Amino acid sequence: MTSRPGADRAQADGPLIRVAGLVKSFPLRRPWAATLRHPLQRSRIEVLRGVSLEVQRGEFFGLLGPNGAGKTTLFKILATLILPEAGTVEVAGIDALQRPDAVRELLTPVIADERSLNWRLTGIENLLLYAALYGVSTAERQTTVRRLLDTVGLTDAADRMVGTYSSGMKQRLLIARALLSRPSVLLLDEPTRSLDPVSARDFRRFLREEVAGRQGCTVMLATHDADEALELCDRLAVLHRGRLVAQGTARELAAVAGEHRYRIVVPEDKASTALALLSGQGHPGFAVAAADSADGWVSVEGDLPGGATASAELLRQLGTAELPVAEFARIPMPLADLIERLVQRGEQP
Amino acid sequence: MSKILALISAQWRVAMSYRLQTLVSFGGLVFTVVPLFFIAQAVQPVMENAIRTEGGNAFGFLLVGTIALLLVTTALSVIPSALASGIGSGTLEALLSTPTPMPTLLVGISAFPLVMATLRAGVLLAGGWLLGVSIAPASLPLALVILAVIVLAHAAIGLISGAMVLAFRTAGPLSRLVLIASSLLGGVYFPTHVIPSWLRAVSEVLPLSYGLRALRRVLLQGASIHDVAPDFLILLGETALLLGLGVGSFSFAFRYARRQGTLAQY
Repeated sequence: MTSRPGADRAQADGPLIRVAGLVKSFPLRRPWAATLRHPLQRSRIEVLRGVSLEVQRGEFFGLLGPNGAGKTTLFKILATLILPEAGTVEVAGIDALQRPDAVRELLTPVIADERSLNWRLTGIENLLLYAALYGVSTAERQTTVRRLLDTVGLTDAADRMVGTYSSGMKQRLLIARALLSRPSVLLLDEPTRSLDPVSARDFRRFLREEVAGRQGCTVMLATHDADEALELCDRLAVLHRGRLVAQGTARELAAVAGEHRYRIVVPEDKASTALALLSGQGHPGFAVAAADSADGWVSVEGDLPGGATASAELLRQLGTAELPVAEFARIPMPLADLIERLVQRGEQP
Repeated sequence: MSKILALISAQWRVAMSYRLQTLVSFGGLVFTVVPLFFIAQAVQPVMENAIRTEGGNAFGFLLVGTIALLLVTTALSVIPSALASGIGSGTLEALLSTPTPMPTLLVGISAFPLVMATLRAGVLLAGGWLLGVSIAPASLPLALVILAVIVLAHAAIGLISGAMVLAFRTAGPLSRLVLIASSLLGGVYFPTHVIPSWLRAVSEVLPLSYGLRALRRVLLQGASIHDVAPDFLILLGETALLLGLGVGSFSFAFRYARRQGTLAQY
């Protein structure tokens, strides 16, 4: 591969993907009885409600949210398979709604569905077909396909029918297929959902090191696995019921979510004194955590709003009250909890 | 062209992976052409007068009708079947995600079944020739042109059914109705002028009626393009109209499916 089909037309500066005010709803299937009673009535379900986001060149961007959040719909709009009702989508400055063909040269969705491969063809035959469809020249096709098979570790299985591949191998072949066009942007929709934990870990390493690293792709990853997103992504966006409830780095999201969780280790017999002091200082949410108190110490955990200033003040108060403290530490909130909190915030009117 | 060839090549490899099925699809033609020969011998005295303007030989008449019907059946079903199976298997979404124009994709997915049907038609014709059907070799190029227009007219109807698949997940009854009407009233097994007058109106709108009449006269009687011009021109006109309808309805359905979000939903 000597050229990158869409790269020439890609804008050099500004965000690579810019989505603004995206709205999409789908018709809701009604029961037969309701359809017969009111044949002209139409019900729709809103899937995206004014979603706006930007993805920078070279970024590994995670789209998080529970099932039905709108992640797949957003991806399909980016892949030009679905038209939105309102809003704009630009990829490298190209309007995806006006020029879908041009956008398909820059952006490739990895269809995670293994069935989208032709199981009666070998791995190499599958890739040769798509190499032609992605416009790889006849002269370069064999070399490109062989190199990609090597990249995804499928050289030995290249001449085997895809129907005999394991799920992990098929996922790797799907990635290789998407990389044929040397896309500027790769869209990955829950790529590890059918992989066992070990294969999923290897696959994530492959995405980080090969796809984002060596291939230099900008990657958008839709997942509901918070740990996966944390491991892979530079920035995250949380989508819930079609609304973008937050976006930023994991640290920024924690700041958006507000409270930080703290652990204070005090003598077991002083736990009630500590809790009373904390409550008096305006932190009633603290409680004794389920912990081993065999050595006479117990953990008290809770949210402490106010950042470093508030925690320093609390530590001073504990000292003033002559309460022995073995440990005073901020507990990093698991991303899953953080997302749950952001989603809950999104549900509030 | 390279994309179309790649799609044909992939389908060829898939077909070759089902070896027995491929062998049976060609070997089975013996069980079409031989019974047809004996049936034709039996009905020759009854049909002779009626088919005088279309070769006068019952076996030749039935053989050409069978060949045309084989190609018409494929042309009607190839696009809706390929789309429905692509939606069901998930391959359509993958194909649509590539920077391949829709007309190229449609030609690519329908070319291989049509090539195979043409090969089977060739085998049938060769079988008929071995069993005594008289075909003028000089008439073959014109016969192929007429056959191609017949296929194009029915592929356009298939395109409308394909539009139905994209929009509503079902091809609907159109292709089936056209196939039934064409096989019964399009002159496949008997000439259209023997059809009762109250049914003839249906026969007269079918592209196959005109196509088959022209095809038989060219292939079995050695007629020239001038001789078959009236039928051929009507066939061309109907084909142009159907292509317009097919392309229009498919474009509309494609946009509708993108709006409804059902393009790759099975």
